[in-house]
Amino acid sequence: MGDVGKLVACLKELGFKPKVDSFQHRLVIQKVMYLLERKGVKTGFTFGLYVRGPYSPDLTEAFYSHRKEVEGLKGGSELNAKEKADVCELNALFSLNASWLEVAATYAFFAYAQGLDPFTATIKVRELKPFFSEAQIAVGTSKAKEFLFKPTEKDLKEMKDEFSVWESASAVN
Amino acid sequence: MDGEFVSLVGEAKGLNSKVFSLVRLELLSGLSALGREGATFRELKAILGGSDGGLLANLKALEAMGYVKRATVTLESRKLESFQVTEQGVEQWEHVRAWLHKFVARGGD
Repeated sequence: MGDVGKLVACLKELGFKPKVDSFQHRLVIQKVMYLLERKGVKTGFTFGLYVRGPYSPDLTEAFYSHRKEVEGLKGGSELNAKEKADVCELNALFSLNASWLEVAATYAFFAYAQGLDPFTATIKVRELKPFFSEAQIAVGTSKAKEFLFKPTEKDLKEMKDEFSVWESASAVN
Repeated sequence: MDGEFVSLVGEAKGLNSKVFSLVRLELLSGLSALGREGATFRELKAILGGSDGGLLANLKALEAMGYVKRATVTLESRKLESFQVTEQGVEQWEHVRAWLHKFVARGGD
């Protein structure tokens, strides 16, 4: 079972008071908690790929069995400074938009959990979520990248090489 | 006919043969994994493919058997149809799954 106290702390930080009976609220929390988990905010809920995209049955059970705490935002534990910053970043990027979150979480699963390249991951998102428009998929995947992308040594070297040309050019002038 | 086969046939009599189509088994399996959350029609359609009419007919058949129930949910101001497995549906799926395991484990002899 995941850490309900941490779930409540994340909801408090988001300024989100959910209703457990709301389908949209449950969906938003599922996707938010998945993206935060990938970012490093560990809550212990187990996610897998289901018909609905990344999803945690434990988290759904936690909503219902801890309805009072979740709806009343009661008894949350403390987030550390990095976790707080991650929650704020997610909030600023997604504004709890259900479509963006759904696309982003699905993209994150394929690109970061399964390690597929960005092109293949986007194709997989289109296959699993064909009811989203191209624009929604583009925005959702771009936000997922912005939130989760961590450059590798190779990426950093490539960026350094690319930027050094511009830096030298500006130094000449 | 060996004793194991005879026993398998005997156990099969306790199963509902109406769930033995690929799409119905996929629906029972997929929805059982989601528990009380269920899935919307558009999500099921995306993953299972086929026509709207075909999928709906199979969902209605499972609903008539008491294995699935439907609800209308709201997402970003849109009304969507959502389907959930019932307790009876989970029970039937567990029965079928256990029987299929035994059936497959028997091998091709």
